[in-house]
Amino acid sequence: MSNDTIPTVSDVQALGEEALAALAAATDLDGLDAARATFMGKKGKLSGVKRHLGKMDHETRKAVGQAVNEVNAAFGRAEKAKRTELELARDRVVLAQEAIDITLPPRVPRRGSLHPLRQTVDAILDVFVGLGYEVVTGPEVESDWFNFDALNTKMDHPARTLNDTIYVQGLTEAPPRDDGTTGLLLRTQTSPMQIRTMLDRAGPGQDQPVHVAIPGRVYRQDTPDATHVPVFHQIEGLAIDRDLSLADLYGTLMAFARALVGEDVKLRFRPHYFPFTEPSAELDAWIPDEEGDGGKWVELLGSGMVHPNVLTAGGYDPEKVQGFAFGIGIERTAMVRYGVPDLRLFAENDIRLLSAF
Amino acid sequence: MRVPVSWLYSYIDLDLAPEALADVLTIGGLEVEAVERPTGGARGLKVVEIRDFAPVPGADKLSLVQAFDGDREWEIVCGAKNFAVGDRVPAALPGSTLPGGFEIGTKKLMGVTSNGMLASARELGVGEDHSGIWLLGDDAPLGADVTEWLDLDEAVLDIDLTPDRGYGASIWGLARDLHALTGADLMLPGTGPNPGGDPAVPVTLHDGTGVRRWDGRGIEGVTVKASPPWVQKRLNLAGMRPISNVVDATNYAMLETGYPVHAYDRALLAGPELHVRRAEAGEVLTTLDGVDRTLDTEDVVIADANGAVGLAGIMGGEATEIADTTTDLYVEVAAWDPVKVLRTGRRHGLHTEARSRFERTVGAEWLTQGASRVAELITEWAGGTVIGGVDEHPVPDVAPRIRLRPARVRSLLGVDIPADRQAELLTALGCDVEGEGEDERVVVPPSYRPDLRIEADLTEEVARLHGYDKIEPRVPSTGQSGRRSPEDLAAIEVRRALAGAGWTEVLLYPFIADEDLAALGLDETDPRRQTVKLVNPLSKEESVLRTTLLPGLLATVRRNVNRQSTDLALFETGHVFVPPSEDEPALDGGPGGVELPAEPDHLALIACGAFVDGRHDRDPRDVDFADVLGAIALVREVLVADDLRVERTHEMPFHPGRAAVVYFGDTRVGVVGELHPRICKAFEVPPRTVAAELRLDVMVAGGAALPTAVVPSPLPGLRFDVAALVDVGTDHATVRDAIAAAAGEHLTSLTLFDVFAGEQLGEGKKSLAFSLLLEDPETQLTDTEEAAAIERIAGAIEGLGGQMRR
Repeated sequence: MSNDTIPTVSDVQALGEEALAALAAATDLDGLDAARATFMGKKGKLSGVKRHLGKMDHETRKAVGQAVNEVNAAFGRAEKAKRTELELARDRVVLAQEAIDITLPPRVPRRGSLHPLRQTVDAILDVFVGLGYEVVTGPEVESDWFNFDALNTKMDHPARTLNDTIYVQGLTEAPPRDDGTTGLLLRTQTSPMQIRTMLDRAGPGQDQPVHVAIPGRVYRQDTPDATHVPVFHQIEGLAIDRDLSLADLYGTLMAFARALVGEDVKLRFRPHYFPFTEPSAELDAWIPDEEGDGGKWVELLGSGMVHPNVLTAGGYDPEKVQGFAFGIGIERTAMVRYGVPDLRLFAENDIRLLSAF
Repeated sequence: MRVPVSWLYSYIDLDLAPEALADVLTIGGLEVEAVERPTGGARGLKVVEIRDFAPVPGADKLSLVQAFDGDREWEIVCGAKNFAVGDRVPAALPGSTLPGGFEIGTKKLMGVTSNGMLASARELGVGEDHSGIWLLGDDAPLGADVTEWLDLDEAVLDIDLTPDRGYGASIWGLARDLHALTGADLMLPGTGPNPGGDPAVPVTLHDGTGVRRWDGRGIEGVTVKASPPWVQKRLNLAGMRPISNVVDATNYAMLETGYPVHAYDRALLAGPELHVRRAEAGEVLTTLDGVDRTLDTEDVVIADANGAVGLAGIMGGEATEIADTTTDLYVEVAAWDPVKVLRTGRRHGLHTEARSRFERTVGAEWLTQGASRVAELITEWAGGTVIGGVDEHPVPDVAPRIRLRPARVRSLLGVDIPADRQAELLTALGCDVEGEGEDERVVVPPSYRPDLRIEADLTEEVARLHGYDKIEPRVPSTGQSGRRSPEDLAAIEVRRALAGAGWTEVLLYPFIADEDLAALGLDETDPRRQTVKLVNPLSKEESVLRTTLLPGLLATVRRNVNRQSTDLALFETGHVFVPPSEDEPALDGGPGGVELPAEPDHLALIACGAFVDGRHDRDPRDVDFADVLGAIALVREVLVADDLRVERTHEMPFHPGRAAVVYFGDTRVGVVGELHPRICKAFEVPPRTVAAELRLDVMVAGGAALPTAVVPSPLPGLRFDVAALVDVGTDHATVRDAIAAAAGEHLTSLTLFDVFAGEQLGEGKKSLAFSLLLEDPETQLTDTEEAAAIERIAGAIEGLGGQMRR
């Protein structure tokens, strides 16, 4: 069929066949585009047919026009399918070439860590805040009145000696005592904050209830070994109200232990002695060993009902209020929590240990 | 206190396995730390009699012993020489096992076959004595199984006594407590009274000695030799070394009754007479441990006509010590003053079994029982006769009468224990309980419970005997919402942000040496040189409290670098300690007017080595000033504090060209900088280590501010770049601030994206390139506004002596 010949319906249909065949023969997207240009482009073969439509009589034009539309539609459908097929084929090749070694080390954002003792303190304080406790803190250098006297510790108690307590040289020109102690020391416990808190809230006509948790660092004159270090951390708890009891203390400590160690932790509540509480108690948790067939009791904390002398020192009337106090050793708790075998590791601050937390 | 279970069970009718007994005691407040069987595991050992022995040919030191086990004779080679024909000794014959599981067989020694071995006390686990074979005495039953005869499988409880439970330092005291805890029958022996008469040594108790009671008895005609084997075993299991029958009897009686006992060889007492008095100035006593002790006039001594022969309540003297030749004794059981004993013991650094008991207060009421018990044991084991005794009782016993309100006890315990039940429990302890019904009762505790003084003490006893494990726990309402202070919460946010940004928290001891501060290059007048000093520091290098966190961090960097961790970014928050001043006032020290130091809270950071890690496709990048300043900028963002501002500083310990004082708004918060090369060298940390120290308490005061929302502009903004060509000495902040001011009110972002210096710019020049964003949420900004802004900026840069480039 030449350009000058008037195309018939069958010519158009033949052209359609030819176009579809060209489409089918295309092996890549360039071939496909070429086929489209050849048959459907502005200068394509079907456009050539369309140019003749105006010269046709009505009947012929209608028939040929319809044939052109059919070819157009058929080509469109076939082209779309072919294009999808060829694109997929191309993608398969190209994307395969772009494959990377997914086992290369990741580019991890640099992350630091909070000290395991800090994390333990915060975890414990979260429990007590949840129970309605207010967190307060106090000084690490204390007077012996707050650290010992007010806490019902006898003048001759061994804890007061230079062997047990680190003393601080007086800031004023007071002569040292015969035994070398001064009125100033590094607190041996967080308990002096019990007194500071009580004095803050007690008083004629007020006697407010107290529910505080006191985290802090404490000091003992101790030779370091796997389970003793001279500088360590405690969280003290103090609750004072009209009728708090040993059963309330037990329940509070149990709630704490369950939150920290686990709901099914096995606990042991047993009598103990502290100068500043009476009755006194310690709470042990049963820590199973790794094999699971044995285990041991680990002391979690010391506690008790606040001694009447301590309430009095804090400005409360022991006939009017009752309360309990407890002290949790952070290092020991962290030891159990993280499986750290030696307390001294916490003080070494070796980055290889810390970065695991 | 180490307690052989068989000993305890001879006084209390209990049949619990040792582990179950340990649980009862622990839950009863006498914590059993361990249940041990130090002599357990011995099997097949026999009591044998030595029939004959002769040297092994060619081995002078060995003997071939003919040992008879009641059935047959065995040939046993032995290296010891301390036995004679007729002695009865323990033999580990072939097939037997020593404690700990060591199996014994036949063995050829120097051509002779030895059928097992003869054992020393140490080999049986009942003592330290390894000087020879253990001579069991004539009463040892020939052929008997030693394990059964001496009960070698028995358990020993190791009890950790709390300071209040002095009674627990005695078998009788523990038996009494078990009676109260379990209801089991007590089987304490009746002991006779003091016999009266003349003990042959007059005693005078002088004033100022605090002795409350003195029971002294004379015993004549004893024969000093080894104690019966079972006594030696018991003492050893209880942690005391067997010495001789007389000395062992005193120790045995003390362990059993709780009353420390001292026996004197009467022949060695000058006079013979005794005085209980204060030591004289310069008086010297050689104690039983062989140490010459110069006494203090506060010390209480027992003295004869020549001087001190014993340190009251602590240790006897060497001069009157019991020896093998001793035949006549004077035996003392006294009640000493707890505080005097403690002070004397502390003064002389002496820790003895006697001291630990007297310190916890030994009740005087039944002192004579202790004395009668020891007299009984001595005459039983060493023979002799009690010739007389005195019982001086200068200070009468006063038992407290304690008010007990049963309702108050219930309230304190939160347990519903009826009044009668409370009385019953206290009575089981040995208390006298007067009164009826729910009303107030009066409780008089027994003299062996000096720890019971007030109602709260009785409350604990009621709870203990009721059972701590039977208390129903409950969680009380606090009636308030829990909270942490705004400052605490802000500090927590700061720490978390730093940890999230690659910084690792360390917690350091707050001890440093004054020399560290000098080494930091701090001037003598620097307030940080005014340290608070320790009286008894852990070491010389830790003799003062820190006034800055830097020395600790430097030491930590050094330690980590020495351990091959060279890329570090560490931070610490914590107190420093400074003498109080107007700015840092002292805290309340309570009555007595003690002045406490101030404890400002600091945050310090230190970093060295790579701050950005390397990877196969990227080189690591070392930390620099901007990284640490960036951490501070992050802190500022977390706290929503005022704008960060820096001012150059030349202060130590920093590099004079690379350090800045940091402000949040107008508040000075601290210093940041690369450390001075000299400081890096002095503290042995890597060169170019960067550090900062900030006032955490100042930064978090009042807590973190709440951010104010900025509504994003709905209209597209104008973005364009400008570059300022300025003198090299002109700093970034000057140029930035000039451009920002000139850009006008619509400026929402101004970012430096390039700094360039090169020949083409001319000598001493640099180019700083910024990208700007102008936004107006109300009206669309146009090219006209952009052109106007650029013109203003050009003018501003010219104002700095520079020139704008686009």
